Amino acid sequence: MGSTNEGVRLETAAMLCLMLAAGSCGERAGQPTSSASVVETIKKRGALKVGMSTFVPWAMRNKEGELVGFEIDVARRLATDMGVAVEFVPTAWDGIIPALLAGKFDVIIGGLSITAQRNLTVNFTVPYAHSGMGVAANRELSAGMAWPEDYNRSAVTFTCRRGATSCTAVEELFPRAALRRFDDDPQAAQEVLNGNAHAFVSSYPNPTLLAHRYGDKLFLPTTESLTRGNEAFGLRKGDPDALNFFSNWILVNTSSGWLEDRHTYWFKTADWAGQIDLNDSSEQPAANVEPRGSNGIAPQATPAELD
Amino acid sequence: MASRRKQLQLNWIDFAVFAVFIAALAYTAYRVDSVLKYEWDWSGIWNYMYRWDEEQQRWVKNLLVQGLYTTLRLALWGIGLAAVIGAVFGTMRTSRRLLPRMLSRTYVELVRNIPPLVLIFIFYFFISSQILPLFGVEEFIRHAGPGTLAWLQVLLGPPNLIPNVVSGILCLAMLEGAYVTEIVRAGIQSVPKTQVEAGVSVGLSRRQLMHHVILPQAVQRVVPPLAGQFITLVKDSSIVSLISVQELSYLAMETAVSTSRVFEVWITVAALYFGVCFSCALLFTRLEKRMAVRRQ
Repeated sequence: MGSTNEGVRLETAAMLCLMLAAGSCGERAGQPTSSASVVETIKKRGALKVGMSTFVPWAMRNKEGELVGFEIDVARRLATDMGVAVEFVPTAWDGIIPALLAGKFDVIIGGLSITAQRNLTVNFTVPYAHSGMGVAANRELSAGMAWPEDYNRSAVTFTCRRGATSCTAVEELFPRAALRRFDDDPQAAQEVLNGNAHAFVSSYPNPTLLAHRYGDKLFLPTTESLTRGNEAFGLRKGDPDALNFFSNWILVNTSSGWLEDRHTYWFKTADWAGQIDLNDSSEQPAANVEPRGSNGIAPQATPAELD
Repeated sequence: MASRRKQLQLNWIDFAVFAVFIAALAYTAYRVDSVLKYEWDWSGIWNYMYRWDEEQQRWVKNLLVQGLYTTLRLALWGIGLAAVIGAVFGTMRTSRRLLPRMLSRTYVELVRNIPPLVLIFIFYFFISSQILPLFGVEEFIRHAGPGTLAWLQVLLGPPNLIPNVVSGILCLAMLEGAYVTEIVRAGIQSVPKTQVEAGVSVGLSRRQLMHHVILPQAVQRVVPPLAGQFITLVKDSSIVSLISVQELSYLAMETAVSTSRVFEVWITVAALYFGVCFSCALLFTRLEKRMAVRRQ
């Protein structure tokens, strides 16, 4: 038996295995369970599995390591109304849609904005929130630049969180400017703080909070929203029952004012800052609930400033 | 013999080199500080490792230590599984028959010639959408009694995260198994052919040959590279954070985003990883020394 002969056979075998594996994947992976609505699955299981990603103030970890935020409130209330428990499945933002399609969870409640591109792969409910997109710019680099015309130049660099609608907004509004994408918001903001980029784009209240915290390095070129986002629940395709149920849940809670109320609490006040603030006294954690200015969220920020 | 003895005193050149090194380090720190506009605040990091629980009146694990435990579970299970995969496929690699050799070679080459990240993305969606539902892992956990759950808690961590951890373990084991396979093969093949021929000539069967001649020598030889591979596995476990397995790197990312203490959190995490891997290295060094003594 010659070694060349063996090599050829080996290759063929490997190829065959690969093709078999790929074929079976393409056939079945990502197929929704269309025989029964996900609503039925949730009731039978007794738990609603929610896919989400950490993003201040939508969903974040408090001092106890538990999840808090606007989305967390929404998902908890939704589960209570359904009479089931809620289970959060923290998922990296990049892979949140594939994870939904693979059946890792029932629904994305993760500040997911409706876009035509995303809508081709997932179904969206009616929006439950409308986020605004804001900008924080480096004081030194962007000094004397007029908003927005001076920012649309090739010498200008923006930063954003990869895969977020903020990136799309920059591409559309400032086609000439360079854009650097980062895994997370803090990294994107750090680039601007370090003076390697002119401006950082993210949904409110992040730019305002940062500009407040690093007042000597950052400023807000504009207080207007770049775009108006429409955040909705994301569902697997082919499930009209679930779409109807979740959309109407949102409708009811919009009419009652509950969603607006929660949105105001998380996005326009800083009352929650103490929950996620790093604690400096490890001896008496409970006594030190007063938020500190140097950390995370500035407690001095009033609703008017954050608006 | 004097030249062979280990040097115990430093001379002036050593001190000079040391001084230059310290100066370079200080300069780097200075440069980083002047370029990086960052407010350092280490005060709250401890709270994200252990926090005081008012209700229970005791210290409980917080995110980072929870993540560390998950990483250790991933590593231990991953090592165990990778060793089994490696032993089976490694023996198959040295088989006289073509089919076993072909199968194991395909596995090894596939894993070694695709970046781990890419492989994990593909394999993960296959595991989570096909393999785990097939075995009904989730259903099993939901209907498990309290006794079973307590055991699962010890072995695999919080029950609601078990499917997540299991997919992480499978991904890591599959990845590292290929490298262990090669180490095992090298170990078996390192036994001189003359010994195999001698064994055959006295009428040993292939199994007897393996048991009495090859394996005793091969095992000793593969311990050092295996130890290295296992430490690599601990470090590599951080890549499963990309498929949202709730281990140290993933929870560190969440903590960093929530608190915007990016560098403090990551430096702490680096220290934790170093601690684990360095202790492993020390442990394996002792193990090797002991084995060397026993051999004499």
